[in-house]
Amino acid sequence: MTKKDSKLRFLANSLPVETEAWRGSPALDFIRRDLALTGTKEGCREGDCGACAVLVGERLASGPGQAPWVRYRAMPSCLLALGDLEEAHLLTIEGLREAAASGITPVMRAMLDENGSQCGFCSPGIVVSLTAFLLEGPPYSIESAIVAVEGNLCRCTGYGAIKRAAARLVAEFSSLPTDFLARVAELEKAAVIPASVGAFARGELLPANVAAAQTQPPGSQTAQPAPGAGPALVIAGGSDFFVRNPKPDRREPLALLARDEDLRGIVEFPGGIEVGAAVAWRDFFSSPLVRSCVSGIGAFEGALASILVRNRATVGGNVANASPVGDLTSILLALAAVARLRGPHGERELPLERLFLGYKKLDLLPGEIIASFLIGRAPGRVFNFEKIAKRANLDIAAVNSAACIELEAQPGRPRIARARISAGGVAAVPLLLEKTSRLLVGREAEASTALAAMRQAMAEVSPIDDARGSAEYRKKILGRLVLAHFIALFPELEAELAREVLA
Amino acid sequence: MSRILESELNVQGLTAYIDDSDEPRGMLHGTLAVTPCARGRLLGIDPRPALALDPSVRVLSAACVPGENQLGASVPDEPLLVEGEWGFKGQGIALVLAATQAMARKAATLVAIDYEELEPVLDAREASSRGSYILPSRTMASGDTSSAFARSAIVVSGRTESGGQEHVYLETQGAIAEPREGGRVFVLSGTQAPSGVQHAVARVLGLSMNAVEIETRRLGGGFGGKEDQAAGWAALAALGALATKRQVKVYLSRREDMAWTGKRHPYSADFRLGLDAEGRILAFEADYYQNSGAACDLSPAILSRTLFHAASAYRVPNLRVTGRMCRTNLIPFTAFRGFGAPQGIFVMECALDAAARAGGWDPIELRRKNLLKEGDVFHFGQPLANCHTGRSVDRLLEKSGWKSLRAEMDSFNASHALEKRGAAILPLAFGVSFTKLVMNQGGALVHVFHDGSVSVSTGAVEMGQQVSRKIQVIAARALGISEARIRVESTKTGTVANTFPTAASTGADINGMAALAACEEIRARLLSFAAKRLGAELGNLRLEGEFVVNGCEPTDLGWNKLVDEAHLERVDLSAHGFYATPGLFYDMKAERGSPFAYHVYGCAAVTATLDVLRGTYRFDTATIVHDSGESLDLSVDLGQTEGAFAQGLGWAALEDLRFDSKGSLLTDTLSTYKLPDIHFMPEMEVEFLADAGNPKAVMRSKAIGEPPFMYGIAGYFAVLDALRSARPDLAPSYDLPMTPEKALAILTGAGAPAKGAQDASALAPPKPECAEGALS
Ligand SMILES: Cc1cc2nc3c(=O)[nH]c(=O)nc-3n(C[C@H](O)[C@H](O)[C@H](O)COP(=O)(O)OP(=O)(O)OC[C@H]3O[C@@H](n4cnc5c(N)ncnc54)[C@H](O)[C@@H]3O)c2cc1C
Ligand code: FES
Ligand code: FES
Repeated sequence: MTKKDSKLRFLANSLPVETEAWRGSPALDFIRRDLALTGTKEGCREGDCGACAVLVGERLASGPGQAPWVRYRAMPSCLLALGDLEEAHLLTIEGLREAAASGITPVMRAMLDENGSQCGFCSPGIVVSLTAFLLEGPPYSIESAIVAVEGNLCRCTGYGAIKRAAARLVAEFSSLPTDFLARVAELEKAAVIPASVGAFARGELLPANVAAAQTQPPGSQTAQPAPGAGPALVIAGGSDFFVRNPKPDRREPLALLARDEDLRGIVEFPGGIEVGAAVAWRDFFSSPLVRSCVSGIGAFEGALASILVRNRATVGGNVANASPVGDLTSILLALAAVARLRGPHGERELPLERLFLGYKKLDLLPGEIIASFLIGRAPGRVFNFEKIAKRANLDIAAVNSAACIELEAQPGRPRIARARISAGGVAAVPLLLEKTSRLLVGREAEASTALAAMRQAMAEVSPIDDARGSAEYRKKILGRLVLAHFIALFPELEAELAREVLA
Repeated sequence: MSRILESELNVQGLTAYIDDSDEPRGMLHGTLAVTPCARGRLLGIDPRPALALDPSVRVLSAACVPGENQLGASVPDEPLLVEGEWGFKGQGIALVLAATQAMARKAATLVAIDYEELEPVLDAREASSRGSYILPSRTMASGDTSSAFARSAIVVSGRTESGGQEHVYLETQGAIAEPREGGRVFVLSGTQAPSGVQHAVARVLGLSMNAVEIETRRLGGGFGGKEDQAAGWAALAALGALATKRQVKVYLSRREDMAWTGKRHPYSADFRLGLDAEGRILAFEADYYQNSGAACDLSPAILSRTLFHAASAYRVPNLRVTGRMCRTNLIPFTAFRGFGAPQGIFVMECALDAAARAGGWDPIELRRKNLLKEGDVFHFGQPLANCHTGRSVDRLLEKSGWKSLRAEMDSFNASHALEKRGAAILPLAFGVSFTKLVMNQGGALVHVFHDGSVSVSTGAVEMGQQVSRKIQVIAARALGISEARIRVESTKTGTVANTFPTAASTGADINGMAALAACEEIRARLLSFAAKRLGAELGNLRLEGEFVVNGCEPTDLGWNKLVDEAHLERVDLSAHGFYATPGLFYDMKAERGSPFAYHVYGCAAVTATLDVLRGTYRFDTATIVHDSGESLDLSVDLGQTEGAFAQGLGWAALEDLRFDSKGSLLTDTLSTYKLPDIHFMPEMEVEFLADAGNPKAVMRSKAIGEPPFMYGIAGYFAVLDALRSARPDLAPSYDLPMTPEKALAILTGAGAPAKGAQDASALAPPKPECAEGALS
């Protein structure tokens, strides 16, 4: 341990905080009770409403050439482990008020001018999300502003006024600079953000033990439990952990992975990329390396949760969670990802499909964690992801499916050299549809192939009923999703497949 | 100062809701040990395992209730804490108190409950077949339906289902009770009905009402869910506070709120609609099976609104509708925006949908042909006055460019195999007033302080509908002063007594009128003082722009001076105002009368795009023409219109409340129960009808809260329309909400309706019997 003591230190708005509170408790309670900052609301405690959204600024070990590299993101504080605030800047609605002498920032003003607050319970969260939107930088568009508040539910307004408020902000701030510090300075001048942001970014307002933090990235010391202490309680993004444990009892040792720099890199190796398990979904989908390795993948980010959750949830957490409907799990299965596991007895590698032993049961040894995923490059590969849920956005899938198909040029239609089709929500574990995938190999990418794959996929699964969909529905929709893969990847098949669908 | 003070606090996070109050040392947190199954009999409770957890734990059962262990306001069928047999899962058996909320929750799970499980009844029709009702059925009728059906060229019939709906007010339910000296109790309650809570608390504690004070600062949303159903939490907190002499807070987690509180009533219905060869409605019959849940709650009043709105915005000369309140073993269903009207209107719209198909009529023309007109008489005998339905529909069709829109959609559909667009309209005529006569009254207390600032208290609860804004406007106009001088206070039972819930869209109508009356009284006193002081003719004086104006001449009496001098001259600067909506009467036996002060009109068009491959859909546009009278504040009315529409659209095409086969709520979290998010909502365009001043409400305005909810129903039919483009042969089972699962079932032909759920499709011969025979 490099630290003098076990105290957690961070900056809450403009005040330094030092606490012995348990790092594994949700930040929301600490904010509302210990700090008495009740502007942050509790609406659900499961990441679904955004009423608890706060801004978190953190100092990253590496960044795109900026020094210092500081990043602010909005996240649901009900899913945020208190310990993840180590050395960070927590900015709540009370902190935002400090930006303006009247207490009313331009973001709040836009909400007022459009009458975007009715009962007001969602309003602080929306103000936080829209402020994060401005802080995160250009390009500013109404579409991206809407994405910025997609994780904030409002039961009163129907969102019309909130969209209009967002549009006002886009118009007002469209020319903010791309450079982070320059933008921070402008936003401070415009009274959108308080001076504490700039001060934190410039390293002026750091908690006392900053020196320790700079030599030792936060998290990595806690990730390795002391020998003999027994396996640690592991929390990554917390987006599943805190939903299942809304008020967890204190437990040690505790391993917080989300800020562990060893676990959140995305790097290249010969023939592929390695994605750290603690990489947040947001970073996964926006990573140039991931995007170049899996062409077109960036387009699917919006199908997963909300931006607030994507800022928290990690790639590894989605797999470790072992939910049969994990979206990233489906994606990684189709991509033939290999999990790299790290434990007290060293490291091992396992093809992802072999990690799932049964419902919510993983082949992980005591004390072992998922460290990263290896994803190979395959030049002729095309990729598609499909997800069906009751609500098109911010919903867990009834069924999802990813398809990776490697094509071989030949006279006439291309031939399928390799294929992997995965499916979630149709079995107790996330499935690689092995028979369906095998059936495709050697066939031409044509309508009859798609139909055969559809039938095989439906025969290959035996789903169950639940609140998200009946067994029959799941089977049927999986068949449709297989066709959807073909139509997305081979648009020329649409007319023919459409005839089949409508027959 | 901003126009809307409340909102200004909201956006800064300064608004204090229940859970934002300080928790003083010694405060106890309460929660419930609840019934573990839908129906059962309590044999015994053993609190010992819970008590062993911590010295702070207390367990209070029905035996500890000093007064009457009863919440049921109209029918005494809902004990606060279970004794003997119980009727739904999630009902309180014991109040469990502890030093922290987490500990109370843990202790509650440790209370050992000895019980016998009984077979539940979950389905409304099944309950009906067993004769299990809350109250006897109710029938409204006009004309002679059987001869009208015999004369009909086309008769369609069918069955409809509409689902329940979770309120999901973002602030969950709760209360904080504080023992006060002399055995009195104060409760900070998240309720739409402070006086109702006061009565419930007094009843449960065996206190007189003057020993109980309730304050409601504001709600983080109500939507009807905190009308009757807030009483229990306040009563529990008060019970705990009196028992322990400590402050007690009962505040529900989202999951508890979803599992333990009532929702919109699911309905099942049978309809029959007869039309002449030109498509004019001749007769309508419907039987509504309201799933009332395990206790009465507000079910009878909700059912009456269903029956009053059975014909929706259409003229139906011969009508006969019967409603049954079926007692089941689900959570007692309760008020939710629209209050039974959406359920009734949906049935009528289904009947028209079936008729349009059977008759080959254009759905819009069919609706227009049958719209209510000035002078028409509703089936309950009330004539229609100041009717704007036709005007709204015409304006909507013009505004939405309906003709070209339809042509555009048809050509899109012809050229796209896997995407289909659809559209539907919904005309509206919604009656305003509480259907229970006594509730149409309200009070206000206005103080003018001698510095010129004004405080207005009414019975209205602020819950985001911005009623305080409207009252502020009314008071400022009545006194001729700036809005900035007016503060609208929280709602307190000791300040304005014997109030009725802020509900039925009447909040601003009734309380605004009461505030107006009080302001007018103060104004009269001030002006008569000014007449003396100025030696002017009283009749020539008025208050305007913060000055007393004499005819056309300004005087030196500005508001501050006026108030200050009047005060020195011992003029009373406070007044109580009262309002009882005039002209209402209803004869329950004859089912005839004038239950509504007026109606609200309008029309909406919703368009949707269906993904034929995946069975998913999205809403593209919503165009609304709405009648809000002479609005007191257009931005408030716009927010209410958009917000109500969003809830209606959610109910119609997204929100899927599910119970399992044993009566446990499956959708008890926001991850399983989905409500509209920002992406779900279409582009909305709202226009308020011009020249629609309403002589029947305060300052010619109109109620706004509930009516626009109905527009969401158009979303259901827009998707149905798109589904028909893909499957012209489709005979849907009218089953709301639409979901992607149902859409796919329809698309793949598996949507074959369950027995009895078809709509008639063939052109039916005049004889109704034959028409029904054609169902198969
Ligand atoms: C509002 C909301 C929306 C959601 N939407 C989606 C969605 O659209 N699609 C979807 O797939 N999921 C969704 N989820 C589910 C959830 O977010 C994911 O499963 C998420 O990936 C979990 O990651 P995490 O980092 O937050 O995990 P955590 O909650 O931190 O951990 C989950 C579990 O995995 C263990 N764990 C975490 N990381 C590791 C590791 N590296 N090695 C070993 N064990 C580990 C933890 O101990 C814990 O038991 C949603 C959740 C919420 C709250
Ligand atoms: S409380 Fe709802 S997202 Fe955190
Ligand atoms: S204003 Fe009430 S939830 Fe948004």
